Amino acid sequence: MLAVIVYGVSTVYSLFLWRKGFRKDDRVNYGLLLAGIILQTKAMMMRGLTLKECPVHNLYEAMTFVVWTIVAVYLVFGLWPRLRYLGAFAAPVIFGVGVFALMPQLDPSGAGRAPQASNDLVSLHAALTLLSYGAFGLSSVAAVMYLTQEHDLKFHKLRAVFAVMPPIDRLEKITSRLLWAGFALLTAGLALIPFLFKGRTDYHDNSTGKGIWSDPKVIWSAVVWCLYLALLATHGRFAQTGRRFAWGAVAGFAFVVLTFWGVNLLSPTHKF
Amino acid sequence: MALLVIGLSHHSSPVATRERFAFSEAAIPGALEALRAAGAAREAVILSTCNRVEIYAASDLPEAAAVAELRRFLFDYHKDKHPPGGEIYARGGRQGLEHLFKVACGLDSMVLGETEILGQLKKAYDIALRHKHTGAVLNRAFQKAFNVAKRVRTETHIQRGSVSVGSVAVELAEKLFSSLGEHPVMIIGAGEAGEKTARALLARGARSIIVSNRSRDRALELARELEGRAVRFEDWAVEFPRIDILISSTAAPHCILDRARLEPLMKARKNRPLLLIDIAVPRDIDPSVSFLENVYLYNIDDLQAIADDYLQQRRVEIARCEAIIAEKAGAMNALDSAVNARLGGLDKASA
Repeated sequence: MLAVIVYGVSTVYSLFLWRKGFRKDDRVNYGLLLAGIILQTKAMMMRGLTLKECPVHNLYEAMTFVVWTIVAVYLVFGLWPRLRYLGAFAAPVIFGVGVFALMPQLDPSGAGRAPQASNDLVSLHAALTLLSYGAFGLSSVAAVMYLTQEHDLKFHKLRAVFAVMPPIDRLEKITSRLLWAGFALLTAGLALIPFLFKGRTDYHDNSTGKGIWSDPKVIWSAVVWCLYLALLATHGRFAQTGRRFAWGAVAGFAFVVLTFWGVNLLSPTHKF
Repeated sequence: MALLVIGLSHHSSPVATRERFAFSEAAIPGALEALRAAGAAREAVILSTCNRVEIYAASDLPEAAAVAELRRFLFDYHKDKHPPGGEIYARGGRQGLEHLFKVACGLDSMVLGETEILGQLKKAYDIALRHKHTGAVLNRAFQKAFNVAKRVRTETHIQRGSVSVGSVAVELAEKLFSSLGEHPVMIIGAGEAGEKTARALLARGARSIIVSNRSRDRALELARELEGRAVRFEDWAVEFPRIDILISSTAAPHCILDRARLEPLMKARKNRPLLLIDIAVPRDIDPSVSFLENVYLYNIDDLQAIADDYLQQRRVEIARCEAIIAEKAGAMNALDSAVNARLGGLDKASA
């Protein structure tokens, strides 16, 4: 809760930086997000110690983990002064997802109750896929930064020249690398699925003969995987660069964020 | 003994007058020797640039007499038969110190906040120091001036941004590309403006430069100077797929690049970002090309608007710079006065 409040302060401060046009290096936002992640890490560790597992077993924990990943990766990028303003673009996303995660219905088990279905492989699967969403989230933030800078350069806005921002080719590279990292993590996370249900019959529908592969969440994950594969393939091989690629990264993460919650409700294997 | 400055600058006189009083670098040690031998000053530094000729001095004479001697030296040395009147200014004491600090900070320069003058001032001081024409007064004043210039540069935005069209073009290129060395540049039209912009890009790391001009000889000459290569004017489109930055400054009465021509060229370039700098009047590039994705077009007015805005920002900083200068000059002047009063008291006591 405290961490989300700090992320909220960072969001308000980011609006101020937008208004000022990102004209000089600013460490306040970096400091705020650092403070936020320290508080969040402490809370996540306490919960993890209570559960004796990585806390990624309900929607609240999943979203918290995605937020944590975005902030952690940003803090590494933010070590370079020209990339520090990535935080101003990331803060609203972090705050938004953070507030959504705080909805009481998303955390029915509470901190004290251990999850019903859990083992090391499940934790690894959840952590890998959520880390991938974090990477996709930050790539969409870099893409928004690209689109802003690109728009300013295209329409001769003075902010394009005065702002302490990285060149747009570097922003495109960052977006692409984050997408590749997210894609690799998602692939690894999804590759674990067959092993999670090996020897288990409780997820097999005998009447239809359908197994885990008909689970909406699994189908949705495959769709997400295909979407990102298509985005990366068209970027690499068919010169879909610049604005289109950036919009693709933004749209991809928007799709993940907007459908994640609903698909979890439909999935029998992801109900908490 | 206080600092005294006498001279002419772009503020007070036209270039025709300034060049009559200029000192060549080689002549400065001799001129300083002559100045001190004439008894006009005990210590002296001569600063001679395209925008100013100034003598910084410390003399045992009263201020008015010292100014008169320095003026006489200036006219006699250059054998000038038509001495200008109000075009030569003289400032002593605290005003002289403030002037020196302003010059060091680029506040008195034609391009506000430029840094070249600080290097020139350091060089002028170094020449005088090496030939032993400086002493306690000028050594202290110049060291302080360099110190103030550093502080002003650190604490204010007086040197921020680009105020020339060429450097603004470079800044824009650096907003698109992280390393200019990896992005080939083409210049169409080997005029002065294009050359200046290309040189600014070269200074910031651009490596591969292609020059295309109607006059093949001029293209070859410029390509040689820029360590690039020349292509025939008819063939510039052939080279286009390789380049990422185009500087166009031809004298053509019509556009040489429009949307219909650029579209297939962009496909051949695999739609990589392209920066088009059109500094020709009339314009060489049709504005409609900016509707194409990954094409960034800036004409001379766009570049000038950015340069003007930077200059405006620098002007806003003047007050902050002047406050630092006044503070430092005031403190130094007060200390000098106290030391002089103490020395005066000691002289009276010993008498």
